[in-house]
Amino acid sequence: MAKEEYPQLQETLLHEKLDNGLDVFILPKPGFTKAYATFATSYGSVDNRFKRAGHDEVRVPDGIAHFLEHKMFEEPEGDIFSTFASQGASANAFTSFDRTVYLFSATESIEKNVETLLDFVQNPYFTDENVEKEKGIIVQEINMYRDNADWRVYFGLIEALYTKHPVHIDIAGTPESVRSITKEMLYECYNTFYHPSNMSLFLVGGVDAEAMMERIKANQSRKTFGPGGEIERFFDEEPETVRTPRLETKLPVSLPKCMFGYKEIPGPQRGEEAIRRELASKLMLESLLGASSPLYQELYDDNLISDGFGYEYNTGPGYSFSVIGGETRDPDELIKRVTEALGQAAESGIDERIFERTRRKRIGSYLRMLNSPEAIAGEFTRYRSRGGDLFKLVEAYESLTIGELNARLREHVNPSRMSASIVRGD
Amino acid sequence: MRLHVLPTKRFKTFSLSLFVGIPLTESRATSVALTPFVLRRGTSSYPETISFRERLDDLYGAGFGFDLYKRGDYQIVQMRLDIINDRFVSSEEPLLKEAIKFLGEALTSPALENGHFREKYVEAEKRTIAKRIEAIINDKIRYASERCTEEMCKDEPYRLLALGRKEELAGIDAASLYSEYRSWLSEAVIDLYVSGDTTLEEIESLAKDSFQLPGGSPVAYSEPEFRAPRAEPQTIVERLDVAQGKLNMGLRTDIGYASADYPALLVYNGILGAFPHSKLFINVREKASLAYYASSRLDGHKGLLTIQSGIEIDNYEQAVRIIREQLAAMKEGSFAPEDLERTKAMLSNQLRELQDSAFERIAFDFNNVLSGSNRTGESLLRDVTSVSPEQVTAAANRVGLDTIYFLRDRKEAAANG
Repeated sequence: MAKEEYPQLQETLLHEKLDNGLDVFILPKPGFTKAYATFATSYGSVDNRFKRAGHDEVRVPDGIAHFLEHKMFEEPEGDIFSTFASQGASANAFTSFDRTVYLFSATESIEKNVETLLDFVQNPYFTDENVEKEKGIIVQEINMYRDNADWRVYFGLIEALYTKHPVHIDIAGTPESVRSITKEMLYECYNTFYHPSNMSLFLVGGVDAEAMMERIKANQSRKTFGPGGEIERFFDEEPETVRTPRLETKLPVSLPKCMFGYKEIPGPQRGEEAIRRELASKLMLESLLGASSPLYQELYDDNLISDGFGYEYNTGPGYSFSVIGGETRDPDELIKRVTEALGQAAESGIDERIFERTRRKRIGSYLRMLNSPEAIAGEFTRYRSRGGDLFKLVEAYESLTIGELNARLREHVNPSRMSASIVRGD
Repeated sequence: MRLHVLPTKRFKTFSLSLFVGIPLTESRATSVALTPFVLRRGTSSYPETISFRERLDDLYGAGFGFDLYKRGDYQIVQMRLDIINDRFVSSEEPLLKEAIKFLGEALTSPALENGHFREKYVEAEKRTIAKRIEAIINDKIRYASERCTEEMCKDEPYRLLALGRKEELAGIDAASLYSEYRSWLSEAVIDLYVSGDTTLEEIESLAKDSFQLPGGSPVAYSEPEFRAPRAEPQTIVERLDVAQGKLNMGLRTDIGYASADYPALLVYNGILGAFPHSKLFINVREKASLAYYASSRLDGHKGLLTIQSGIEIDNYEQAVRIIREQLAAMKEGSFAPEDLERTKAMLSNQLRELQDSAFERIAFDFNNVLSGSNRTGESLLRDVTSVSPEQVTAAANRVGLDTIYFLRDRKEAAANG
């Protein structure tokens, strides 16, 4: 078992890769009452074309990773939520573009709950009947999002930016794609992506790390899994240009919602360079668009933005893009003002003083985040899947230079790779 | 102002919360709501918004924010500040001291011109709050919930939004708001909480010089009015362009947070709809596949319980029937012993878990201040654990359905109108 100390942060992380390939991480938080665990597979909505060793290439319906996540909660003896509830644990799961995460938080019976988490995810139980029954529930989930203007404008932007890459496909799929899903397809996806060697377990909180590790190892050694085998994922080649520069949706809203952003030619996908690029991008956007930036104040004073105005930098396998915007009385004016300001900054460079202050702010936010077991678990696994270490981000932030930010800015802000998504009423 | 300190070494931060509450009234709700929006624009030391925010950035990205909500018959403004403990950074200034100074100024020493608030800030924030009120309709789940409460409480101030009324904004200017603000400060109940590696003595000395409060003895919060449900539940149907119907129900109880029967009511709500093992989730979602979400929520400060679900519009009658069956079953004491045990285990977990979040600990303790009770996490946990099935059934019979609200599409308006 490897033990990594982070004295500046006063954190210690334990790691072991088990014989079956499962990565187990434990971060003890002395004094904490609760424990929070995530069991995650590197499998999300973008993995819709793949091939596992010794099998044919398959293409699966949109929304299947999310469907699978729903169905995992059903066991032959009933709903696993009830088991967790009896053990005082609150359980949940979510599916993103590139990950599916099962989780619980509990303050008692932690070892038992960890085993329940491992056992239910490692025991798929799909029948024609229970697969049929789930379709009604998921269609209602899709309908809920259809009425949600924030989701529509956000997803509209990704649809406008991407032509081929499956990141533009709604994570839940469509009512039609969901209705086409069968239990055989679910087993195919399960057997491909839920092998321990494609998964990681992260446990954080008031736990006895060594006893916990032993319990997890014993649990895993009782089960047999076939060989993991390589998973090949296929993505059609994404053109450099956007699918459409503008996409408008009608939905009853009080003010138009407008999000725009730039699609990047994907840089390094993993490792230190990939992490630096991500941090530099976020710092660059915060310096220029954050709530204490001059531009933000001007736009607010001119009644072009509200408190919800913000930005996001999103990156994963084969995609990276920015999302900028919020609600506005005049989408075109907002886009014009922001893109002009970004263009000017690309020429003149970012103000050194603002850069330093923003860096300090990001380090502070990062340290505050370390109070939250949920955030640690989520962010740790995300950085890890990109070959980085969450607990080394302070050093990474401190070593970033304004030169890197300016280079990032000039590369990112490319008018030919920008799209806008607008939601407005009649 | 009362000080409350929750000393702990568990966190990497100091967390500060300031609660300022006055009775929720028609005439003042809007100006009270507007006040924190204006206060966050600037203080006497940092009068420009940009300098105000830069100051927070310089304090290692201190997290500052505010919330507005209704608790019982009060309208509460909460200001929060979350700041790094100096021991994790190489700061030149003592961060806790600076944080309290900043918060004190934000509440009591705003940026002024000509003896009142800055006109520019007041006008901009009037627009901001108007936009917030208008935007409620964008989120149909929130909209349906606010509308259900509004219909249920149409004869009492609780029908108002915590944000106040849009129509009132035009009549407010920088001078009138400033005078409202001064009387708000002198009449409100004010509580400051600090959680972190500190002591009451330290906070007392730091807070003394940082808050310029007008004199006057602080009054305590008083008990809200608990109303009985309508004799016959009302049904309200509203039409908008929606893909999914939102079914909300409003119920009333006379059991409040301070009541000895409150733990039984908590357990009742847990068995009914607070969790994925609860009756609503199992019967509306898992058995009938009618919905993605179906849950109940308890507001112990006002004696309200609300049920919410998103359903296929044509399934309205079936969903109402199933939900009413669950309410009736609870009144008859028809629930399994396992459901009682699961619910207790989940509630116990929640009560223990909140110890790990500074702001949740603060919020829990503030419930005592609001209701004049003296519960600790441990005492409530004990009380919940000892609730009997009979007590749950007794609580169920003190909950009555008042309002059924349904938000649906515009189709077939004639047939059903």
